[in-house]
Amino acid sequence: MSDDLKSRVQELIDTMINPAVAGHGGFVELVDVQDNRVYLQMGGGCQGCGAADITLKSGIERLIKEEIPEVAEVLDTTDHASGSNPYYQAGKA
Amino acid sequence: MDRLLLLLPTTTYRTHDFLEAARTLGVEIVCASDEPSTFEAHAPDNLLTLDFDDPDAAAARVATLADRRPLAAVVGVDDLTAVAAAAIAERLGLRASGRAAVAAARDKYQMRQCLAAAGVPIPRYRRIALKDDPFLAARGVEFPCVLKPLALSASRGVIRANNVDQFMAAFRRISALLAREDVGATGDAAQFLLAEAYVPGVEVALEGLLMGGTLHPLALFDKPDPLEGPFFEETIYVTPSRLPADTQASIERATAAACAGLGLSEGPVHAELRVNDDGPWVLEVAARSIGGLCSRTLRFGTGMTLEEIILRHALGWPIASLARERRPAGVMMIPIPRAGRLAAVDDVEAAMKVAGVEEVTLTAHVGQDVVPLPEGWQYLGFIFARADTPAAVEAALRDAHARLAFDIR
Repeated sequence: MSDDLKSRVQELIDTMINPAVAGHGGFVELVDVQDNRVYLQMGGGCQGCGAADITLKSGIERLIKEEIPEVAEVLDTTDHASGSNPYYQAGKA
Repeated sequence: MDRLLLLLPTTTYRTHDFLEAARTLGVEIVCASDEPSTFEAHAPDNLLTLDFDDPDAAAARVATLADRRPLAAVVGVDDLTAVAAAAIAERLGLRASGRAAVAAARDKYQMRQCLAAAGVPIPRYRRIALKDDPFLAARGVEFPCVLKPLALSASRGVIRANNVDQFMAAFRRISALLAREDVGATGDAAQFLLAEAYVPGVEVALEGLLMGGTLHPLALFDKPDPLEGPFFEETIYVTPSRLPADTQASIERATAAACAGLGLSEGPVHAELRVNDDGPWVLEVAARSIGGLCSRTLRFGTGMTLEEIILRHALGWPIASLARERRPAGVMMIPIPRAGRLAAVDDVEAAMKVAGVEEVTLTAHVGQDVVPLPEGWQYLGFIFARADTPAAVEAALRDAHARLAFDIR
């Protein structure tokens, strides 16, 4: 079941998610699926980006849940502090 | 399910904490930002792009969306979004301070006019046109004074001048800053600066929530590092304040009077005040919550975050308690010591080992060009600590900061 879920999530990442975030120089990798929770890692322009949380929660998670309703949550495992080329850089405001 | 609109600029530090709070509350989140999301086409009811500098257009765009999918609340998370959020709330009849009041708080000159009219103690001030001759402008100013842009936040562009020469240098430096495209100053903010008397004394920040026109103080922060210029880099915030109780009460009264003078009535406020033998002097009142990641110092009731309180208030939901936890807490906004490229950060683990330190978060990334005040607009990161006394919190923050090594070339 988990392997099936994993492959469906991977397919979504390959066909819809990565083509979208590629527009900002980013990419997403599937780390694992455990107990209907999807663990992702963000890279490229997404790593350290000021809008990464918006992308994850209102973009990626929404899309995955719509396409695969049994997914309960999508969690980010990225070390955003190590991002070397974020698309948007947070500031003081 | 209630739908909540969050206005989240792409450059804000506040996105993660507000999204987490919204997720905790279980509301449907609608995110508006100043740049398009890569997923906007996939989720047009939940992701939109707004021009925060054009509140009328933003309100019109959101009204169209709300006709199809109503919104229960709108929250702007920082200075850049405060006026647009107020305009949207006004158009949709949602809970927020009035747009005119929020706009007045966003413009330091308008703010001082309102506060002066309300009898709130503020420094003497003058608005000066950037097209004026700085030498002639300096003749009408008492020294020492502080020059500042009308609309930038977090001490950006704020410079002390002790004499005419320093005034002219500061004037030119602020003019150059405001002319920069990336600063994005428009209207009066691009044409004027403010000169005001330097007020000696200690500086504090009051975090509060306005409910029905009544100010509920949430936390009073001491700023133990002296802020005497020539630039005013904020570093350490510690709460609760170590000032005497009657002084704290006078700070709360002055802040409440300032909010009333501006006409602010609902939502978060962040006020900066100086305190000396003459009492509190109001420097700023912003219609937003504390900036950066600093809100992570605050927990309320049984662990509620500041962002959850703000969202609950905007949604009209009950708030169990506005009482901050008793344990002293503090944050250090790690300043940028000099301009250059951040090559490496070392000894984060050593900083984390300091007793009382809970978190060290680096927000600048290796390879990033960093710029100090007064032109800069970012921090290297944040250190958070909790301890048994405010003095111990301050000591932990200083110790942790001293252990960090930033290689800037």
